[in-house]
Amino acid sequence: MPLPTLTYPVLAAVSAVLLPFVGFLLQALMGKRSQNGAIALITIALSLLAAGYTFAQVWGNEPIHVQWRWFTIGQQVFYVGLLLDNVSVLMLLLVAFVALPVHAYSVAYMKGDSGIHRYWTYLSLFCSAMLGLVVADNLLLMYVCWELVGFASYLLIGFWFTRDAAAAANKKAFIVNRIGDIGFLIGFAILYSFLGTLDLNTLFGQEGFFATASGAEASGIIAHPKIPAGWLTTAGLAFFLGAMAKSAQFPLHVWLPAAMEGPTSVSSLIHAATMVAAGVFLLARIFPLFDDTALLVIATTGAVTAFVAAYFALTQYDIKKILAYSTISQLGFMMVGIGIGMYQLALFYLVTHAFFKCLLFLGAGAIIHELQHLNDKHQLGIDPQDIRHMGGLRKYMPITFVTMLIASLALAGFPLTAGYLSKDALLIHAFEWAALQNDASVAIPYVLAVASILTSFYILRLLAKVFLGSPAIGVMTSARPHEASAWMLVPMLVLAACSLFPLFTTSPLNYGQAWLLQKILPMAALPPLPLLHVLVPLLTTMATVAMTLLVWQWYVKQKYPLKAGGLFFRLSQQQGYVDVFYDRIVAAAVLRCSNVLFWVDKHIIDGAVNGLAALGRILAAIAGWVDQRLVDGFVRLVGKLAWGLGNVLRRSQTGRLQDYMASVFFIILVILLYHLIVQA
Amino acid sequence: MNPHLLTILIFIPLVAAMIMFIVPSGKRAAYKYIALITGILQLVLSGGMYCLFHPKGAGISEERLYQFVDHIPWIRLDMGSFGRLEIDYFIGVDGLSMPLLFLSALVMVVAIGASWNVQKSVKGYFILLMILDMAVMGVFSALDFFLFYVFYELMLLPLYFLIGIWGGARREYAAMKFFLYTLFGSVFMLLIMVGLYFSVTNPDTGAHTFNMLHMMNPANYVNGSFFSALANQELFGISARLLGFVVLFIAFAIKVPIVPLHTWLPDAHVEAPTPISIILAGILLKVGGYGILRICFSIFPDAALQSAWWLGLIGVVSIVYGALVALAQRDLKRMIAYSSVSHMGFVLLGIASLTTEGTAGALFQMVSHGFLSAALFFLVGMLYDRVHDRNIYHFRGLATVMPRYTVFIAVAFFASLGLPGFSAFIGEVFVIIGAFNAESINGLLPRWMAIAGSLGILLSAVYFLWTLQRMFFGQVRLKGGNVWSAALTDASPRETVIMVPMLALALVLGIYPALALDKINASVLALVELITK
Repeated sequence: MPLPTLTYPVLAAVSAVLLPFVGFLLQALMGKRSQNGAIALITIALSLLAAGYTFAQVWGNEPIHVQWRWFTIGQQVFYVGLLLDNVSVLMLLLVAFVALPVHAYSVAYMKGDSGIHRYWTYLSLFCSAMLGLVVADNLLLMYVCWELVGFASYLLIGFWFTRDAAAAANKKAFIVNRIGDIGFLIGFAILYSFLGTLDLNTLFGQEGFFATASGAEASGIIAHPKIPAGWLTTAGLAFFLGAMAKSAQFPLHVWLPAAMEGPTSVSSLIHAATMVAAGVFLLARIFPLFDDTALLVIATTGAVTAFVAAYFALTQYDIKKILAYSTISQLGFMMVGIGIGMYQLALFYLVTHAFFKCLLFLGAGAIIHELQHLNDKHQLGIDPQDIRHMGGLRKYMPITFVTMLIASLALAGFPLTAGYLSKDALLIHAFEWAALQNDASVAIPYVLAVASILTSFYILRLLAKVFLGSPAIGVMTSARPHEASAWMLVPMLVLAACSLFPLFTTSPLNYGQAWLLQKILPMAALPPLPLLHVLVPLLTTMATVAMTLLVWQWYVKQKYPLKAGGLFFRLSQQQGYVDVFYDRIVAAAVLRCSNVLFWVDKHIIDGAVNGLAALGRILAAIAGWVDQRLVDGFVRLVGKLAWGLGNVLRRSQTGRLQDYMASVFFIILVILLYHLIVQA
Repeated sequence: MNPHLLTILIFIPLVAAMIMFIVPSGKRAAYKYIALITGILQLVLSGGMYCLFHPKGAGISEERLYQFVDHIPWIRLDMGSFGRLEIDYFIGVDGLSMPLLFLSALVMVVAIGASWNVQKSVKGYFILLMILDMAVMGVFSALDFFLFYVFYELMLLPLYFLIGIWGGARREYAAMKFFLYTLFGSVFMLLIMVGLYFSVTNPDTGAHTFNMLHMMNPANYVNGSFFSALANQELFGISARLLGFVVLFIAFAIKVPIVPLHTWLPDAHVEAPTPISIILAGILLKVGGYGILRICFSIFPDAALQSAWWLGLIGVVSIVYGALVALAQRDLKRMIAYSSVSHMGFVLLGIASLTTEGTAGALFQMVSHGFLSAALFFLVGMLYDRVHDRNIYHFRGLATVMPRYTVFIAVAFFASLGLPGFSAFIGEVFVIIGAFNAESINGLLPRWMAIAGSLGILLSAVYFLWTLQRMFFGQVRLKGGNVWSAALTDASPRETVIMVPMLALALVLGIYPALALDKINASVLALVELITK
């Protein structure tokens, strides 16, 4: 096969992926000598430029697909390649675009950490793997990057490895993600087994297997001619398992709150904006694969996750945990978008969510950073992440407050923000989709609506507790916390600007005009219900306003009417006891099983071997006894007999002639008698 | 032109052993240098051969497709009515053996490097090591069954002494167990070998032969002979060919090892000195997998097809069982020993699938596991050398004490648990894909086996990450207190020099697997063709 011609967009995309990788290698080799992050910062900036160029060239144009031979196994050739289409260049730009501010932020945030050289190394590795993931042209390469982002996330969660909680959290994250990886692996094993290729274009492209299959579906054939229906569903569910783990869907969400043990800048990039969205991205990429069963499972899981996580977020005190559950909940929204067939809306929400959620984490990081500083300076001994120790920070950190307010409103879906465009679009279509269903799944949009209201509540609660009211710790009035440095503030301001509508559309109230949705089109449109397009935004906005009033009453005016400690409160506070269940039941069962098997190994299998050996020794002992007593005894008996006989016969050797004569006569007599008797 | 490279490769260590024999025992340092030079010579030679090896040389059942062949008559004996005894010195290399030969040479160098501080009777130790080296190379090259058997048995002897004399506290028990286990398999192998000898004739001379390639061709079987496929002889109500297959399989499966014939392995590994553990895991286990492919499957393809389901089952059980038992271990070396059981289970599963993906994946996994397990045992040895303790619970926070060592062990762990970018990933993924594919290609394995096997990938993450967390992360807390923290120095230059190339190789093969697969492919295709045609 001739080498594909390298066009500029391809070169740019390749360098966007490889630049951070080069940065990773350089920093890994330099070790402690590279402290200031210049390499990471420069490579990601260049990567962003390259990604921007690629995006400008490809967006709205024909997809570009290039591949090179990687290796051959048997006669099957596997390739590495890039598939640059609207979806992948959008993600390429997004990842690089969010990564750059986070890198800049980290310069100040991680300053002075003794392991900072590792931080930059890991971060570059992550960026490279994540950028590779979005442009990969086949499932094998995608899987490689998929696991590598998980690995980089493992390294970064456990960045402060001397903390036991961090060491436990990164293990948990990797293992839960491994469960998903197996799903991914089985999914592509199914496709490979039936269709003989892992190439995304051949499978899902315009003329791919699944495009022709859905054509066949229209003419009445339900399943793909080459895949039995059962395996098609299984493949869809297997890939979804992968996405569930990566995108922290219930009940595999447990790793994400734990992952908050990593540095906050890491949480913002990896565990809010990019990596966790990879599951949604995967499902969007292979969307034609899913049949109705798989889609329904996806939508249901998404809705459950959106609700459950929002419910858990209501009562958390750790600022990062609230945001983590919020991320899980919003990922649930995106999953519903996939499940109802509107994957372009899921992607739209993915993009807008990346900006404002990243910003929320960066803001939280700025606060934590400041509190940690006060904590160290005044020996307060408080947990700098606990919102009960905050309050009144608006006066001291006004820019942080404003940016976080914008991000929160975007999260709540308030008009003029990007969240309003994308989230309400999702809700509207969920209702339109439900109108076509005639089973229990009609409940899905209502669940989402409730989750959406809960979202407004918990994020406003966070804002109120952190920024409004009076400071919870007295020292704050004297010590005066202040705004973070420019390295941290500028990235936050950039992201805040991106959380508003102008980046996406010129008409702030109509998502349909968003440029993003002009170029990424769904496979089939839902019949529109015009009333919803007015009603849903109106109701959600009103709900947000109502929640604002409620939160104001409860947390700012301190008129909290409920008593803490009720069943629903505890269930939320303890995060549904899911972790407890995993630790006490699942992990314990695996350990028990492993101990039992070890016992079997030691006592039964090896016992049998040793028993066989013992048996051999017993048999040998018996043989030895037989040999010594019986066999040798007989030999000795014969010897003794011979000796005894000899002894007896010796007596006849008298040496007297008459005795010998007598014997001769006696013998002749016997012979004669014998002859007489026998012959006669 | 035939420069006899393969013969030279096999017998360099013998020459070294003879030189060592002459060198007076007072010069203790001389032995290790002679051994190291031998090892490096072999590594260079096998590396050169690897590069020269033509990827089209499929080998398997055709002599002309083997490379570096030496084929000369060795023993010719007129045995009257039994005909002429025909034993050849017949060696050659194909895609199955070439990567394993290179692997063996590499692991040997590592083992010699790990033997640097041996104190007890140095002369005997290195002479035995050289004999072992020769035997291993011979096993992977022999194409005459008799020659194979000679090398195969020759491996046992030095190992018995190396474990029994230089081993740990329970060394005698472990050495005896290892020896008897393996002997149990090989004694029966002898019977099958003789049976094959009387069933097969050389088509050129008409004499009975031990030539394995002739045994692979059904046309060479004497009419009505014991192992003739046409005659379909039976013994104890079982088809003779199936019986032959099963007996040979058990002999090699003990080496692999498979559950439940694996219990020699933890004991042997734990009691053996570090270099011998490295050789056991890095090379000896591969002899099992190699034997199954080269002998069991190639000579008894019909029986292989019949038994594939059971072999796959054994593979899956080994994967899951080994991983679960590894999770229960407190001794780091024992944990790694059980992880070997689990990882070698993938080899069996891949072989049993009899698809090109699965078989190539299995072969790749053998190579990958070869140097990864060698690296792991070397790393455990480093720890043990310093504090003479391997109990996982006696360490915590080692990352702070030994940062470079921690990087090595973390890389080795992640490579072993199949992180993409490392070789084990390619091996395991293609074993799973091959096993999954088997149902549509040849119907030998049901798909659930592939799914169950992938559980092993999950469990390997569990035990490796648990160990990392338990031993290396958290605050420093050592059982031996300050004495230990003084003794636990970071990796020395010698250790670094040994570790870096192995981990780098795992990385190179993981990123560019074509380096190995291009040499393997033709043989795998020929093998699968031979068996499933």
